Amino acid sequence: MLRLSNIHKAYGSRERPVSVLADVSLTVDDGEFCAVLGPSGSGKSTLLNIVGLLDRPCAGEMVLGGTTISHDSAQTTARLRNRLLGFVFQSFQLLPRLNAWQNIAMPLMYRGVPRGERKGRALEMLERVGLSERADHLPSQLSGGQCQRVAIARALVGEPRLILADEPTGSLDSATAGEMIDLLGALNRELGMTIVMVTHDRDLAQACGRRIELLDGRVVADSAAA
Amino acid sequence: MSARRTLLPDAPLGETFAEAFANLRAQGRRSALALLGILIGTASIIAMLNVGHMAQRESLKLFSDMGVDMLQILAVPTGEAAAGFPREAVERLPQSDPAVAAALPLATGRGPVRSSRKQTDLSIVAMPPGLVRLARLPVAEGRSIAAIDDCGFGAVLGHKAAEQLSAPGAAAGVGSRVLVGDYGFTVIGVFAPVVAETLDPTDYNNAVFVPLSCARRVLPGADPNVAMIRLKPGVDGEPAGQRIIAALARPGSSLQAMNAQRILQTMNAQKAVHSRMLAAIGAISLLVGGIGVMNVMLMSVMERRREIGLRAAIGATPRDVQALFVIEAAVLTLVGGVVGTLFGLLAGYAIAVSSGWDFGLAVWTLPLGPGVAGLIGLVFGLYPAITASRLDPIEALRAD
Repeated sequence: MLRLSNIHKAYGSRERPVSVLADVSLTVDDGEFCAVLGPSGSGKSTLLNIVGLLDRPCAGEMVLGGTTISHDSAQTTARLRNRLLGFVFQSFQLLPRLNAWQNIAMPLMYRGVPRGERKGRALEMLERVGLSERADHLPSQLSGGQCQRVAIARALVGEPRLILADEPTGSLDSATAGEMIDLLGALNRELGMTIVMVTHDRDLAQACGRRIELLDGRVVADSAAA
Repeated sequence: MSARRTLLPDAPLGETFAEAFANLRAQGRRSALALLGILIGTASIIAMLNVGHMAQRESLKLFSDMGVDMLQILAVPTGEAAAGFPREAVERLPQSDPAVAAALPLATGRGPVRSSRKQTDLSIVAMPPGLVRLARLPVAEGRSIAAIDDCGFGAVLGHKAAEQLSAPGAAAGVGSRVLVGDYGFTVIGVFAPVVAETLDPTDYNNAVFVPLSCARRVLPGADPNVAMIRLKPGVDGEPAGQRIIAALARPGSSLQAMNAQRILQTMNAQKAVHSRMLAAIGAISLLVGGIGVMNVMLMSVMERRREIGLRAAIGATPRDVQALFVIEAAVLTLVGGVVGTLFGLLAGYAIAVSSGWDFGLAVWTLPLGPGVAGLIGLVFGLYPAITASRLDPIEALRAD
């Protein structure tokens, strides 16, 4: 599903590079629910951005869903993101002007799916995350937990190979955070959805089948390797 | 992937248009202000084109009866003696000059004219019979001067001249007597009112017409001092005028040529100055408007960085992002163009009314206004759109 080989990433000037990821190699299989743990500055967000095709590594090879990622053209990378990936963000990132189902349907628009079909599939996803009756609500009329459910539905709607969640519970209270992890777990179990979630919350990470710990840009622990 | 797929946005264009409209509506007042420059620019260009169109039509109307092929030679005295040129030389012009289709000699002047009760100063036109047709003088009463009249002391009165010579109970009309200078004439006809034209040698309404051969009796000079010439179609009036002046030249007279083409050109040149000014105003407004639109779009890009980052993350290609902003700018300016066109037509109508013209719409200007405005939007929207498509999605998603 996902294979990273000797990924390096550094920021800053050529003379004084600041290394963020150093020689990261790991493999995620289909159907895994991985938590990436680590303190701030450990490189976990950078890792997620590289896997999410939003950032390119300085060195190393990445194969995602059978495609070797080259970052040759922004157009091609964008289409790969659309086809292979679903994102869930800490701050939901819903467009305030669009209602719930319109937000969910957005990824399909960039695939040229006709409007009627988009709505149908968006409503299906809303049902999946338990928000059917909120289809026409604007994000401002939804609670934080409901917004994140809409965001998860948006990540799911394109039937991606991999869902990337960046601190998906960071803006929620602990009870809602638990619900959200349960929802992701259910998607993982019932749909076999592969999920990689970045978090710094060890308790929430317990719910995940696999935990990868990063420190100073290196993988220091991996429950799958243990 | 094929070349076509990489050049075009992936999202359907219609949907991008719908989004653009929604975004602009959401921005409300700011969109309206950005429209203003485009609106003024389009309005002045549309007004200019329509006013130009109407002015052209009006000036053509001035010549429509006589046509633009008319040339007039006028003799002005240089000394004491009366000015003129030989009648035969004028009448021979169609044969002697290849550019001339027809030529009529006239003798004009001014003098006292008396009827039984009244006396007034009138234009005196000694004319050959052909003038009636050439100048389209409509006979209201009686008949006009014919070839057989020679100088048989029959005269025709212009419409106003007849009124001026009439007194209660003694109307000047067919059969009445008038005294032109010292010679008595019988009125044989009265012309209906005619609309004055630019190339009329005199005001026909205020004139008394006598046969050309009577010129030496009622006017200071015996010879014609005006030649009305119709040129063959497509002939350049300028050199023809110079040639004819050379042919008719005589000591004691200075000859001037007036031709309809030249007058039309002068009038058009004046109009062109006005048109250029309006065009400059329009172009500057459009430029300023375009920069305003670019500014608004750049602000919009900065404010919507998160949205752009999100769209990129969920699979919008750089082309999709560009299309979103270019179309937004184009829709903005298109709306400005449509409203501006309406204002421009309104301004054109106001100018037409105040100039006493008939309002005429130049239909081809209708698509031009929104078209030019939309083009401005495309051009000035391009830079903000490219800026948007080059945002780093990670940075953009982090923006607040």
